[in-house]
Amino acid sequence: MVNGAGMSLVGAVLFGLGVVGFLTRRNLIVMFLSTEVMFQGVLVNLIAMGMRWGDLQGQAFGVFVLVIAAVEAGLGLAIVVMLFRRRGTLDAERWNTLRG
Amino acid sequence: MEAFWVYVTYVASAAGALAIYLAMPPSARSRSRAALGLGAVALGAMLVVLHQLAGESGEHITFGLLSFLAIGAAARVITHSRPVYSALYFVMVVLSTSGMAVLAGAEFLAAALVIVYAGAILVTYVFVIMLAQQPGSTDPLASSMKYDAMAREPGAAVLAGFVLVATIAGVIVGREWPDGVASEVAAVGNTLAIGDVLLHRFAVSVELAGVLLMVAMIGAIAIARKRIPRADEGDESPPPGEIGRRAKPF
Repeated sequence: MVNGAGMSLVGAVLFGLGVVGFLTRRNLIVMFLSTEVMFQGVLVNLIAMGMRWGDLQGQAFGVFVLVIAAVEAGLGLAIVVMLFRRRGTLDAERWNTLRG
Repeated sequence: MEAFWVYVTYVASAAGALAIYLAMPPSARSRSRAALGLGAVALGAMLVVLHQLAGESGEHITFGLLSFLAIGAAARVITHSRPVYSALYFVMVVLSTSGMAVLAGAEFLAAALVIVYAGAILVTYVFVIMLAQQPGSTDPLASSMKYDAMAREPGAAVLAGFVLVATIAGVIVGREWPDGVASEVAAVGNTLAIGDVLLHRFAVSVELAGVLLMVAMIGAIAIARKRIPRADEGDESPPPGEIGRRAKPF
């Protein structure tokens, strides 16, 4: 059995890497991949918290995180495909008219 | 834990942030070598901190290896300049995360991670990447390499990520943590216990999750089947709210 602190440390680092990736990359697909890295960080953190309190709620929430990740990937990639068909590029900078 | 290890954590986060900054896409060979060295320093310092945190609870080497793999692969996901390789490195992140879940006694979640993430979501990602980036330099893809090879505001983003990670990690390392408690239902097996929790305590949430999945599936089909006119042919730029409205849904 590992310690919960080490696992939440790894989760925090994964989440931070995902944030940096989401902010820096310009490819829409890689931006979505970065959000998946953030999801992994949250999932590791949930497992660690479940261990720390000694019950299964953390793992049950992990299952729900998995569901949300699947929903997000499906809808997000559908939107990405639509945007690609519209402009023929995956560059997020090309869609900056939404900035207002 | 004493304050010394908190400062070690800060230094490790700073080295890692610098390594990520140097590894960001417009990368020369000298920069990527420096990034590799700094990243090795940061990961080594983090492994030492992890060893300190673990204390007497065992499984150090396996957990250290898995966290090394997860963080290194995640760094490659966000710094690799070709999306296909990013997706493949993400598979590595998922596999090492599920290894950690096994170590923590969450066998069901580990199996679900491999099946759902590595088996389903990643396949969708790779499929979309292949769909959007066919080889052969026809006009829409002429600039496809340029935006992958340029990071957007790497300095500010890495600074924000460093502040986030250093704060959270400092709090985690500074606290006293009890050793992992084995859950009381572990005797009947993790899958059975998870099923029990899901269907007794979270029954409504499970139903809502199912409804959410179905709504998302219908929404994705409706979005992807719309006939979207190309921006550069015909009417130049409809106002932003009109883009979806002019296209017939089916």
